[in-house]
Amino acid sequence: MRSSRAEKIKCRVLAAAALLFLTSHAAAQTASTPAAPPQVALCTACHGPNGNSQIPLTPSLAGQPKVFIENQLVLIREGLRDIPQMKGMLDTLKDPELVALANHFSAQTPAKPTGSINQEVFERGKALSAKMLCGSCHLPDYSGRQQMPRLAGQNEAFLAYSMKQFRDHAGLGRDTVMSASLFGLKDNDLADLAHFLANYK
Amino acid sequence: MKNRIALCGALIAVGLSQAIAQTAPPPPAWQQGRGTDQAASPLAPVAGKLTATPVSELPIDKLKLPAGFKAEVWSHGTPGVRAMARSESGKVYVGSRGLGRVYEISDNGKERTSRIVVDKLNQPAVAFHKGSLYVMAIDKVLRFDGIEQNPNVAPVDLTAKFNLPPEQHHNWKYIRFGPDGKLYVPFGAPCNICELPTQEYAQLRRYDADGSNMEVIGRGIRNTQGFDWHPVTQEIWFTDHGRDWLGDDTPADELNRMSKTGLNFGFPYCHANGIADPDVKKDKACEGVTLPVTTMGAHAAVMGLHFYTGNMFPAEYKNAMFIARKGSWNRTKKSGYDVVMVKANADGTNAQMTPFVTGFLDEKTDDFFGRPVYLMQMPDGALLLSDEQTGAIYRISYAKQ
Repeated sequence: MRSSRAEKIKCRVLAAAALLFLTSHAAAQTASTPAAPPQVALCTACHGPNGNSQIPLTPSLAGQPKVFIENQLVLIREGLRDIPQMKGMLDTLKDPELVALANHFSAQTPAKPTGSINQEVFERGKALSAKMLCGSCHLPDYSGRQQMPRLAGQNEAFLAYSMKQFRDHAGLGRDTVMSASLFGLKDNDLADLAHFLANYK
Repeated sequence: MKNRIALCGALIAVGLSQAIAQTAPPPPAWQQGRGTDQAASPLAPVAGKLTATPVSELPIDKLKLPAGFKAEVWSHGTPGVRAMARSESGKVYVGSRGLGRVYEISDNGKERTSRIVVDKLNQPAVAFHKGSLYVMAIDKVLRFDGIEQNPNVAPVDLTAKFNLPPEQHHNWKYIRFGPDGKLYVPFGAPCNICELPTQEYAQLRRYDADGSNMEVIGRGIRNTQGFDWHPVTQEIWFTDHGRDWLGDDTPADELNRMSKTGLNFGFPYCHANGIADPDVKKDKACEGVTLPVTTMGAHAAVMGLHFYTGNMFPAEYKNAMFIARKGSWNRTKKSGYDVVMVKANADGTNAQMTPFVTGFLDEKTDDFFGRPVYLMQMPDGALLLSDEQTGAIYRISYAKQ
């Protein structure tokens, strides 16, 4: 827990440094560079190298579908999805900049999961996922598509947290389809699913 | 007796589903009726897009229309645009999904600019009536009085007067004031296919403008997202979406005509041209059901319907209907994604459907470039067509060649 908090503080500091760097170098940016958008350093300070997060409750962005990232960035910027850690971060960004970020992170390679697997929990999650038809929308390899996120290899704690959010807090900007899909599942069901998906290779 | 058995079966089913709720939660509304044969199907609702699409990425060059017709970009940069309403002074108001915004689009004759009137609403639709903008979301009704003169006017909240039911699915709105000055509002079925949880769904209602004197004018209507009044008979004609998960080609969406109030249009027991539902069964499922004027293609997602009364288009289009089909998701190969023209006799006989705007869909690759949803006629007789996917509005005009 302590190390995760230290990580969080570190990531905020890094983000602030990246923001400073951006502001001072804004004039030097050229429109023609096809390289990573200038804000990427700000994102990866928390979301990890290439968007592979090392902070439990911060999601990985690498390899997420482009439309999914675009839509989430808009929802967060417009305040329809309330994420305290993201507050204000996107205020100045216009749609084309969000699209550029989505392009960038969707093209990154997701890191292979390296956590230790509890086989019993993993199997329970696998069976539940098959029963719940998660792979129907998120695809059988859980790589996601369009508006539906990649689940394979996502941080376990984030997956569990996120599913609870869907289950308990249906609302604006939150997908009612997903809320309905998780209706009635218990916390330990969600934990099983999260363990399976986070370790899915 | 049969009814009693059916009721008993339904009650047992409800009891059972409650008893096993912990281990087998109900499927989400759009998945209801999905049979075991479809369990491996990868079909899922198509993604909406929340970012503004740059003009250079709009599919305008792909669109194909009959000879003499032209489509051009009228406005853009308003993600999720759906139904439009025009004020006396020419402002165009547009509802949207996703971001839940209502946009006001101003036209100086050369170019269009937009601003957000209100946002964070639950899928709002718009109508303009006697100087006021009416905004209706799934769970809210707002009236902006004199908004043309006073852009920042605070809305009057009429929600309590309209007595809106709680379920959200299929209760996204399309609203219009009729020739009788009443506000017409659909209340969709809160599922793909189900016995209605309460009787306040799957119906079309009308209200006085202030929300009083509510009257249910039609039932058994699964999900209508477009209606208009016949220019001669003043009868209301409406589109209705058919159910999903019965296969690629059945049941079809509908174009219906309401010759009088109080008719039953079939949901959940009877679909399209008289197809009894295999999941929600009733003896003589289609008895007493008003069948459609014509079917409109399975899963095509029939949206806005407009009777053309302008003088710009050739005479053959006078009083013909234009209907936007947003396009399918519950189909192996996509279909719809176009605007069709439908001509029919005033009594609903002899309906003929022909393509009008195509090119939103590439049938070879199964890719789509836009989702046409609503039509609005301008004073010069041109049609505006909104594209929910790209957040653009196109102007369709005609010039003799």
